[in-house]
Amino acid sequence: MIEVQGLTKYYGPHPAIMDVSFQVNAGEVVAFLGPNGAGKTTCMRILTGYMPATSGTAKIAGYDIHTESLEARRHIGYLPEHASLYRDMRVVQYLRYAGKLQGMTATQLRDRLDMVMERCGLTERSNQIIGTLSRGYRQRVGIAQALLHDPEVLILDEPTIGLDPNQIREMRSLIRSLAGDHTVMLSTHILPEAQMTCERVIIINQGRLVAEDTTAGLTSSTKGAELLMFRVAQDDSSIPRTLRETLSRVKAVRPITGDRGAYQVEAEVGSNLGPEVARVVVEKGWGLTELRPIEVTLEEAFHQLTTQEEGVN
Amino acid sequence: MRNIMTIAAREFTAYFISPMAYVAMFFFLGVCGLIFVLSTSAPGASKADMTGMFHSMVFLTLLMAPVITMGLLAQETNSGTYELLMTKPLRDLEVVMGKWLGAAGLFVVILLISLEFPLIYEAFGTPDWGMVLSGYIGIFLTGLAFIAVGVFSSSLTSNQIAAWLMGTFMLLFFWLVGWLQYGSTNWLGTLAKSLSVYENFGDFERGIVDAKNILYFISLGVFFLFLTVRSLENRRTV
Repeated sequence: MIEVQGLTKYYGPHPAIMDVSFQVNAGEVVAFLGPNGAGKTTCMRILTGYMPATSGTAKIAGYDIHTESLEARRHIGYLPEHASLYRDMRVVQYLRYAGKLQGMTATQLRDRLDMVMERCGLTERSNQIIGTLSRGYRQRVGIAQALLHDPEVLILDEPTIGLDPNQIREMRSLIRSLAGDHTVMLSTHILPEAQMTCERVIIINQGRLVAEDTTAGLTSSTKGAELLMFRVAQDDSSIPRTLRETLSRVKAVRPITGDRGAYQVEAEVGSNLGPEVARVVVEKGWGLTELRPIEVTLEEAFHQLTTQEEGVN
Repeated sequence: MRNIMTIAAREFTAYFISPMAYVAMFFFLGVCGLIFVLSTSAPGASKADMTGMFHSMVFLTLLMAPVITMGLLAQETNSGTYELLMTKPLRDLEVVMGKWLGAAGLFVVILLISLEFPLIYEAFGTPDWGMVLSGYIGIFLTGLAFIAVGVFSSSLTSNQIAAWLMGTFMLLFFWLVGWLQYGSTNWLGTLAKSLSVYENFGDFERGIVDAKNILYFISLGVFFLFLTVRSLENRRTV
């Protein structure tokens, strides 16, 4: 549904994105993840036809965004970064205007308008002037105008920014409910958000694509190892060496800094070392007080990927 | 066409939601009224003649056009609504024409209200309606062309004040350029005369509707609308 091939954009001599390629299939919800200034907004602006790329191609619903721009734009619902709206218009008035510009007929508008306002929780505010709405409600109007014409592709730039925790939760469930009927691409720099709302994550840093995988795949593949944490009552400096010697599949044992008596065990993926570590620790009489697997969160994976890239440059 | 009308209708309505429409009306009609009162109550004034009125109206249009157009694109850029507008399936030309038509709508409303002046003449005297008609055709064409210049200046910046100043200076150029004809008798003088708004409006004021003058104002408007479209295209590539 979204096909991006070798997309590059220069602002003067400074590259904002370099050779970015990815694909989003129909019905998927994909997060575009990256630190601030990574090139997420630039990429989305190119995808929505707001500005052209320096080189590379992008297709939305089979239409090239540069050569068949109008046709491609018809299939997109876009929420820009700050969801700027005409402050002097009423909610329903603005949505009608946006719908008409998307080419909706009066009948289509009648059918969709109430439904979309209901879905975005705007029904009670439909006659309020946009300028007097709170940030959260304005964001909803932005989402509503993107959804109104029932586009195949939704591009949402930081949809939860500036919302309070309750509104964030509502927004996330709204986005999740769009999966299947719509292809959704959202950008965020909040990792749990990507984990919660999306099946797949595309990580971008300093204009380059650094990783593209499912949220589950990304967390396991970045480390390439299984991690275990245990804590003992009788700390002994010989613990790491003893463990490595007794258990051959253990790759490394490190004391966790700043946490006395706590150790991190690294083993190959799938070695399922928990019971064996427990046995050895008990046999040696170190006094096992805690043992648990360490899950690499997306957060760590992200940090690792984005800082690694920094080191290369 | 539908898109143009949708945008034009929004812009036209927005004028009346904000104070802009009322400020423009107050300014244009207020000054016209003052001149009307002064010219009819002057000692010796006995003719129901609109010539002097048209003379002031065309200059007031010059002052007013950049004011009503300054926000059309500059405000959208500044507030960020421009991005949403430009990612809708619209041609740049449709956006430009819609904006222009919205402002032209306000201008036409103001002109219609200003018909009170010849109507007052009609009540107390016998104005030459042929001359009134020709004058209004002239003002109408001038206004549409001036608004095109204003839309262009609004597309150049995100600052409304800058857009207003640039618009005013561009229009003043077309107003004053005619003076060059008095300094030079060669081709430059002829060119200056044919470029001058003042010269081209003169015939309408005197009751002459000449194709040459009509063509001048239409060309001026089309040229600046074309420049605006190019300016929007250019913005995409920056």
